[in-house]
Amino acid sequence: MTTTERPLVLPGDPISPDLIPSSTSKPLRLGPGLRHVPPSDIVPVVAGQLITNHQKNSMWVEYNSNRYIPAPGDLIIAQILRSGPDLYFTSISPYTPPATLPHLSFESATKKTRPQLAPGALVYARVVLANKHMDPEIECVSQSTGKSDGLGELKGGMVFDVSLQFARRLLMAKSKEEGKVEVLELLGGEGLAFEIAVGRNGKVWVGGEDVKAIVVVGRTLRETDEGGLGVEAQRKLVRRLAKGMK
Amino acid sequence: MTVSTTSTAPAAALGVLPRADGSAKYSHAGYTVTASVNGPIEAQRRDEHPYEAHVDVIVRPAAGVGGTRERHLESILQSSLSQIILVKNFPRSLIQIVLQVEDSPENDYVNTKLVQASLNFSIMPALFQTAVLALLSAGVPIRATATATAVAIVPQDGTKRSVVDPSPRDVEIAQSVHVLAFTSHDELLLAESEGDFTVKEWDDVYETAKDVCCRPVPTKEGMEMVLDDEHTNGPDLRHFLRSTMENKVASDLHWK
Amino acid sequence: MPREAEPSLNEKQFVLQALHDSVRLDGRELEQYRPLELTFGDQYGVADVTLGKTRVLAKASAELTVPYADRPLDGIFNIATELSPMTSPAFEVNRPTETEVLISRLLEKTVRRSGALDTESLCLVAGQKCWSIRVDVHVLSHDGNLIDAACFAVVAALRHFRKPDTSMEGGVLTVYTPAEREPVPLSWLHSPFCVTWSFFGEEGDVAVLDATWMEEQVRSGSCTISLNKHGEICQIAKLGGVPVEAVSLLQCTNVALVKAKDMSSKLDRWLAEDARRRDKGGLLAELSAENDRVPDM
Repeated sequence: MTTTERPLVLPGDPISPDLIPSSTSKPLRLGPGLRHVPPSDIVPVVAGQLITNHQKNSMWVEYNSNRYIPAPGDLIIAQILRSGPDLYFTSISPYTPPATLPHLSFESATKKTRPQLAPGALVYARVVLANKHMDPEIECVSQSTGKSDGLGELKGGMVFDVSLQFARRLLMAKSKEEGKVEVLELLGGEGLAFEIAVGRNGKVWVGGEDVKAIVVVGRTLRETDEGGLGVEAQRKLVRRLAKGMK
Repeated sequence: MTVSTTSTAPAAALGVLPRADGSAKYSHAGYTVTASVNGPIEAQRRDEHPYEAHVDVIVRPAAGVGGTRERHLESILQSSLSQIILVKNFPRSLIQIVLQVEDSPENDYVNTKLVQASLNFSIMPALFQTAVLALLSAGVPIRATATATAVAIVPQDGTKRSVVDPSPRDVEIAQSVHVLAFTSHDELLLAESEGDFTVKEWDDVYETAKDVCCRPVPTKEGMEMVLDDEHTNGPDLRHFLRSTMENKVASDLHWK
Repeated sequence: MPREAEPSLNEKQFVLQALHDSVRLDGRELEQYRPLELTFGDQYGVADVTLGKTRVLAKASAELTVPYADRPLDGIFNIATELSPMTSPAFEVNRPTETEVLISRLLEKTVRRSGALDTESLCLVAGQKCWSIRVDVHVLSHDGNLIDAACFAVVAALRHFRKPDTSMEGGVLTVYTPAEREPVPLSWLHSPFCVTWSFFGEEGDVAVLDATWMEEQVRSGSCTISLNKHGEICQIAKLGGVPVEAVSLLQCTNVALVKAKDMSSKLDRWLAEDARRRDKGGLLAELSAENDRVPDM
């Protein structure tokens, strides 16, 4: 592990200089939850655990919340609100300004062959533009390759709300080891057939034919998230819910 | 001037409202307040500010609809909370804070008039503290944390006595009541006073409040503070804030 | 403020399909309520009700006032419901929405018009002085079924409340402060409860109790039945929505009675527990005005 001690920080706490990774070759990268106050102060702005990674020369604050702030490159699940002349207006999180999605931002779409999405439809998209001064923009196709890479309309199924941190854990490359989330593998192991799409904005889409299976997946995700279950408790939960289904 | 307190220890729970972005329930000195924080969300056209977020505070009393007194408390809270929230991060947005009063201490010596209930001035520290806890629970970026307390100057046997967290009986016979809030950088954030008092009295109140709000959090090495008998004026608010947040972060990040 | 987030088509279709298979998202039975919890405040008359993720707080208070000119022998009793942005950012202060008006009216019919509280007992001096009892309902969290939770909270708050004791000697009315004489309970006649049914589908053939917010968004009709544990119905409100077979509606009423009895016994139990807890404080609690009550959360 390349991380050292992880103290609790509250907003405004001073960070002792020995915690800040100092490498002369790479610039120091600040992740979420930290603010640079010129000339040389780094101050946390949320309450959480301060994590430093000396290898990559970066530091950030690990915390959980429920309000998603869009950042470029994030994969999210958006809901179509209405259609404009050549854009869709979509909602990434409730009560925020809509994000725009161009009509042609789908794989091999032309004016005649583009997918027609009705209000209320769900798409798996990537955030292209997000800054504090402009409404966010999203896309369903990679601009460089022209391939969708799994983005696009999500048909059927059900979407469940999870906390932002849980979504991050699910999206981790090694979700079992680093994120300590095993539920998806366990559910598959019990013989449930389903598809999953995880949005960083705290939404998980579960698709499939079996309604009961989808409900079990949703309940598992919600109870693991809200209950803060560890791996052992997750195993027990999956066993109980899968048995109840049969 | 002697200082005395009638309060019990504060208690707080975070994340009590599952549908809000952040929430907190806080009890201290007989007051119980629940706060919800939503934001940054879309602001109404009339409240939109091109470079900053708009902070909207709504105070709802337990009984009655609330009138001018509540609006006054709202405007004081709004101006002080806007100082610590990093509003420049979210232009044209709204940070909405709703404070619901659930319980306030009763004065057993009078019959209360409740239909047009107006809130007692000394509820302000509880409102302020609940709002700060709810902001921390929501993860809204703030410049620093803050703590608040109320001090009343009560005449007793010919002399005057400072009471931290005054009861309704104290407030009734007090000559002046003061509410002060300090940030975690020991800066004075809020100072409101009611009644007759001298500048010297206010200075003493300031020192008392600063002692309650800004007690330095003990570091791991030094254990000297345990036997310190001088600091018996009211609860250690900063320590309470820190331990509440420690519990929250530990339970959030249990998986690491 | 038309800012409320609407669920997606996927969610709506899925919930409907699942209900047709008798499956609910949280694994409940169709006629099963979410866990109902009640906490009383330190003061008399504060009731905090949790029904799953829905949370409602009711506070009862009393004030001396002049009775209405046309009802000189009755006291005044009001229930005020105001939804604030705490319920959801879509609600604004001072702008009543349809939800708010509906809850107000249902509580009015259920608790006030059914005579649950004896208003004659609130009169102190005919035509001159009477008690005005007011219950404020605050919705702290909205996850569906506000009506049932609010009604339960109102009834609990009123039964828990104590008004100041009074005495009348030779035309002189004395109102005692809580320090002089222990406050007395209100004159309560019966406890009504609301049971709300939600109907789904184009035929209205799937009927469900205690709908969550998501289920409420997809329902095609609803019916609220208010009754007490003796089976006396205070009101039935089915305000439009999909037509439902009369026989099904009667069956709904029967199940509603079972639920009302259940709610009634739960409330009695909680009130008894609270009375026991306060008794432990003993006389000391009455004598000292500066008693610090430890808040229970």
